[in-house]
Amino acid sequence: MALIVRKDLRLSAGKVAVQCSHAAVSCALIARKSEPRLMERWQSSGGRKISLAIDSLESLKEIMGKAKSAGLITHLVKDAGHTEVPPSTITVLGIGPAPKSSINALTGELKPY
Amino acid sequence: MGLRSFIHRLTAPKMYDIIDKHPLKLVLVINNDLKMGKGKIAAQVGHASVTATLKAGENNPSSLDSWLKSGQKKVCLKSSYDELMQLESEAKINGIQTVKITDAGKTQIPSGSLTVIAFGPDNEDKLHDLTGHLKLL
Repeated sequence: MALIVRKDLRLSAGKVAVQCSHAAVSCALIARKSEPRLMERWQSSGGRKISLAIDSLESLKEIMGKAKSAGLITHLVKDAGHTEVPPSTITVLGIGPAPKSSINALTGELKPY
Repeated sequence: MGLRSFIHRLTAPKMYDIIDKHPLKLVLVINNDLKMGKGKIAAQVGHASVTATLKAGENNPSSLDSWLKSGQKKVCLKSSYDELMQLESEAKINGIQTVKITDAGKTQIPSGSLTVIAFGPDNEDKLHDLTGHLKLL
């Protein structure tokens, strides 16, 4: 599972952690329903996750479009805006769980957050 | 829908009543003794959240449901290893669900280090009593 964080928002470490968790939980719940076998494989191999950085909302949406057309599970996290950012700001995109190769094909150029 | 569940739906308390009266949250406390990068922390906290969610789904599906419906509120705090162990035993006494995450040690830190403990999802006040003194990350 890849968690892609918008670094242009300059969120605090704790906020990033929480936003990534939202994405991870939502993706996992979607996967449990729609692709239970994949979900089980992912979990039994340690529920691997990686957080990556992206520098704009446009690039994030572009990756989301590609992931969707590749048939991968995606979840976009919109913040309620109680703390650091205005309401409905898009903060993190979660992709997967999916085979490593399909995630790498989309996110290979991104740097770890 | 059967007749019985139809009647239940009419008479049962509404979900939002439960949410309003008992706001739930998930508290994630990281081990600040380890010097982990921001991205590493994010992934570890992600592990803890997913595991806590799935565990709550098995043990307490109704509270998991109201937590998810009320926006899956999460807070991330920091603490030391010793304090984390103490908090974990206090949580167990109070019947709060805990999930401990230890790292496989492939990247930044030694294998088997405790990185984060998730407390909940549980009643906000109950969690505040336990972790209210800790600092935000």
